[in-house]
Amino acid sequence: METEQGLESHEAASDDRVGFGFWVYLMTDLLMFSVLFATFSVLRNNTAGGPMGNELFKLPGVLAETLILLTSSFTAGLGMLAARRGSKSQVLMWFGLTFLLGVAFLVLELKEFAAFVHEGHTWRSNASLSSFFVLVGTHGAHITSGLLWMGTTLVYIWKRGLDSHLVRKLSLLSLFWHFLDIVWIFIFTVVYLMAFV
Amino acid sequence: MKEFLLGKLTDQSLPHEWFTIGGTIGFILLPIAVLAILVRIKGWKWLWGEWLTSVDPKRIGIMYFIVAGFMLVRGGLDALMVWLQQALAPSTAVLGAAHGYLSADHFQQIFTAHGNIMVFFVAMGFVFGLINYIVPLQIGARDLASPFLNTLGFWLYVGGVLMVNMFFGLGGEYAATGWLAVAPLSDLQFSPGVGVDYWIWSLQISGIGTTLAGINFIMTILKMRAPGMTLWKMPLFTWGSLCSMIMVVAVFPLLTATLFLMFFDRYFGMHFFTTTLGGNAMMYTNLIWMWGHPEVYVLVLPAFGIFSEVVATYSRKAIASYGSQVIAMFGVTLFALSVWLHHFFTMGAGADVNAFFGVMTMVIAIPTSVLMFGWIATMHKGRIKFTLPMMWFLGFVGIFAIGGMSGVVLAVPPADFQLHNSLFLVAHFHSNVIGGVLFGIFAGINYWFPKFAGFRLNERIGRQAFWCWIVGFCLSFIPMYILGIMGATRRLDHYDPSTGWQPFYIMMFIGGLIIAVGVALQIVQVIASAIQKRQLVDTTGDPWDGRTLEWATASPPPSYNMAVIPNITTRDPLVEFKKNGFPKQPYEDIHMPYNTASGIYIAACAFATCFALVWHINWLAVAGLVGVVVCFIARTFNDKTEYTVTAKEIEKLEYDREEADRAKKPEPGEDMSLWEFIKIAVAWALGLIGLKRRAHGN
Amino acid sequence: MSSNPTHKPGTQPEHHGTMTSYVTGFILSLIFTLIPYYLVTHKTFDKTELLLIIFGFAVLQMAVQVIFFLHLGREKKPHWNTLFLISTISIIFLVVGGSLWIMKNLHYNMAGMEVMDKIATDEAVYQVGGKQAGTCPAGTGTNHEIMLMGNVATPTHVDAHVCDTITFMNHDATTREISFGTSAQPAMYAGEGSMTAYGRHDTPMRLTELGTYKFHDSKEARITGDFTVTN
Repeated sequence: METEQGLESHEAASDDRVGFGFWVYLMTDLLMFSVLFATFSVLRNNTAGGPMGNELFKLPGVLAETLILLTSSFTAGLGMLAARRGSKSQVLMWFGLTFLLGVAFLVLELKEFAAFVHEGHTWRSNASLSSFFVLVGTHGAHITSGLLWMGTTLVYIWKRGLDSHLVRKLSLLSLFWHFLDIVWIFIFTVVYLMAFV
Repeated sequence: MKEFLLGKLTDQSLPHEWFTIGGTIGFILLPIAVLAILVRIKGWKWLWGEWLTSVDPKRIGIMYFIVAGFMLVRGGLDALMVWLQQALAPSTAVLGAAHGYLSADHFQQIFTAHGNIMVFFVAMGFVFGLINYIVPLQIGARDLASPFLNTLGFWLYVGGVLMVNMFFGLGGEYAATGWLAVAPLSDLQFSPGVGVDYWIWSLQISGIGTTLAGINFIMTILKMRAPGMTLWKMPLFTWGSLCSMIMVVAVFPLLTATLFLMFFDRYFGMHFFTTTLGGNAMMYTNLIWMWGHPEVYVLVLPAFGIFSEVVATYSRKAIASYGSQVIAMFGVTLFALSVWLHHFFTMGAGADVNAFFGVMTMVIAIPTSVLMFGWIATMHKGRIKFTLPMMWFLGFVGIFAIGGMSGVVLAVPPADFQLHNSLFLVAHFHSNVIGGVLFGIFAGINYWFPKFAGFRLNERIGRQAFWCWIVGFCLSFIPMYILGIMGATRRLDHYDPSTGWQPFYIMMFIGGLIIAVGVALQIVQVIASAIQKRQLVDTTGDPWDGRTLEWATASPPPSYNMAVIPNITTRDPLVEFKKNGFPKQPYEDIHMPYNTASGIYIAACAFATCFALVWHINWLAVAGLVGVVVCFIARTFNDKTEYTVTAKEIEKLEYDREEADRAKKPEPGEDMSLWEFIKIAVAWALGLIGLKRRAHGN
Repeated sequence: MSSNPTHKPGTQPEHHGTMTSYVTGFILSLIFTLIPYYLVTHKTFDKTELLLIIFGFAVLQMAVQVIFFLHLGREKKPHWNTLFLISTISIIFLVVGGSLWIMKNLHYNMAGMEVMDKIATDEAVYQVGGKQAGTCPAGTGTNHEIMLMGNVATPTHVDAHVCDTITFMNHDATTREISFGTSAQPAMYAGEGSMTAYGRHDTPMRLTELGTYKFHDSKEARITGDFTVTN
């Protein structure tokens, strides 16, 4: 005979498992990034006569991107607090804000890429630029996937309301979003700041 | 317009040489024909509903075995073709080849395919099949943590298998670069065809499937054990699988990233590993071996686990030192991550780098020896039954030890400068992979076959197969060690007859033929056992007087594995239960997952994307990617994924099953001999012809 | 068993955040972002120190976010998440650090000739009697100029020490091939038979071998001279 507690503990165990499984997936994603970081570190000076990082990057813009992404991580956290309180309108507001900040980040990043390409510095120019575009671009692709995930979830919440399944989905999503901010910290430091040291 | 629709595909891509035509018939059309016959006999609904969309790890495990077995035949044929070429090369030139019967380029494609198939699709397939089937039973779980990821992982693996066979039908070439496609040979400049692209995507798609499966198994083992089963009470096959899966999630992401970088070089003209504009080909070698070395330990750790189970059961003793076995497995896992440079000692890093990695490589021998001595100590003062799995174990001890020792020789950088990429190296790793991984798989399949099928395997024919393998292996690989020390390089499609190597190569080919007979006998063994299944039936679910939980279920187990998950108090729980009685617990409702086709759909879209990227069909690549995303989102928003089997239903199912078991009685009779099987097979074949004659003539 | 009505099913109270943790994490992250930015744009430290400091701040900020945003360590025992994260970070150090160590080593030993020359020059590896004798103790020594103008070399004799340089300053438009030894008896210097002094360019050569050497231009007889290299 199924008890109320039985169902609850079954769901709790399932949530715990899914949360842990997603965590392990995030670890594998981190390891993929580590290869890109290793490749960038090894190839960053192989410019074949082309410009080095300190001649290309504009630090103020990068700082803006960093602060935007950090703030979006904060608003995502506030969104999670609202989700656990069960407040649908607050969830939509905070995660909506996170979404907009994420879009702003992407726009700034794409503008940076476009500027480089316009000047003739593409990912085909040399190894250094190839590794730059792939490392930063992969992070951007992850941000894009996160925004897609966020958008579809928010639409779902708007139409169907908040329930325990969606709270679980939001917690995984916010985990993903925080993790992307952590990767960005290292991109900011290793790719951009270290170019000027 | 045609270019937009078809990318680089032309009618020249269709098969027009003897081997592409042969390969298309043998490896694409034949499996399709078999599937068609199956559908004809049993119906599409049966195939789709019972097997293809199943999320039951037992079903998925059997499907892994079937695909892996099929690829074993293909990989083995590749090996025979290589040996034949090398045996014939100095004295013959036929079929338009300059030496032997294969052109140099074709020869290179064959050994590349051989390596990829054996590592990715045979070894990983069998290992994943065993882990899928047995680990949930051993830990008292009903299913894996994510049944959906399980089926998705399997179908991505099948996608990889399809990709590595697809080139026969479209494209006509595979990578000719060796199984790891080292740069710069694999760059677009030096490999402009689609071969390397097929290589990239067959590895990438199955690699992602492996990573997902790894996450799934870790979740299951860490979070879904029976109550009371602490980690320190887990069976050793589960430990071996856990260590292996931890290594999978640690290193397969490295492979995924590296393959993407190689893809970017070839598709987008980037410069990671190119010879110009700053690319560094040595970085590719560094990255690919960071994955490549731990990969072989991924394969062998479950085999170590299998041997622990087999030796303990057939020695009728608990494993000699459980703690040191676990710590040794963990030691192997840890050290495996810090030795990768030994694959490129000769690439030019200095003495201090080489020395560090040489020492670390030698250190790995220590935990491996601990395991080896642990098994032998288990046999000491045991009441040993020399069944077929034990024979495979003893074969492993001899051959794997030789492989390991030759590995320690290679670990010394100055020695490696002489032996790198020689046949000594090839003999070393084949001793370890065949002696360790493959023999472990064979032992495991013979050991657990009654659990899978409800009847055990024929011992007589099995022994004959075993001896063919041992004799064939020695005849093939002992000359290989000698040739390596004499200076023979690997991957030679021809050599000067004045070297005096030809007799050795001929010996190796004959050894290969004997191994092929062994494989054929293993297939015969399965068929003969099926014919005799009433004599070989397993009535109790525990034919070997086992020690671990999987033997406490029916053979084969019902979909929910066990009606009641018992409380565990000791290691080797079955020994405890047989002494003090099985725990009596009331039946409870069980949640079972529905079958799902999402895995197939997502894998199909992923396959379409990968295929499109090989042929630069951009619209299809985008469409496939969109398909993956849409199917995935659809799946995550599907809330109805489980159904309940009520306690009452379980009670009835268990009662029916027990009644059926009581009625089962093994018929008397000896295991069929090979001669008797041949007689039956000939009679059946004649009967088919007779039927045809009757249908036509009268 | 008491069920907690304020928590939705499937959530555990221990490892959620609170407003405090998110705000603290945010403010600390801001600080740990702005400080390294300031340090780099104002070049406050030396290269190696600055690299370590900003990397340290990155690690610190990661710890802040992992603790305050991801609430690591607060899940119930066993702490699998923490264990997996620490293992992953260790492997990342192995992958990145190992790659850097190996590739740097390979670059040093396996680089092409242009890089080898540069390395030999940078490390001022010099030869005595054709054998490597060690690095130049005080870096690069004095520079001696030999001017090529109007088809004549000035001066025609140079006394130098090992690790000094001689720069051929070619003021003519014609490129000169300066060969060592005489046309009757050609010689090698530091493994080279000759060097090219491009028109209107300065071409330096490092003095890594001891001894007295003659030089000449095979096409222009008036360009000739010698130099002596001592310890």
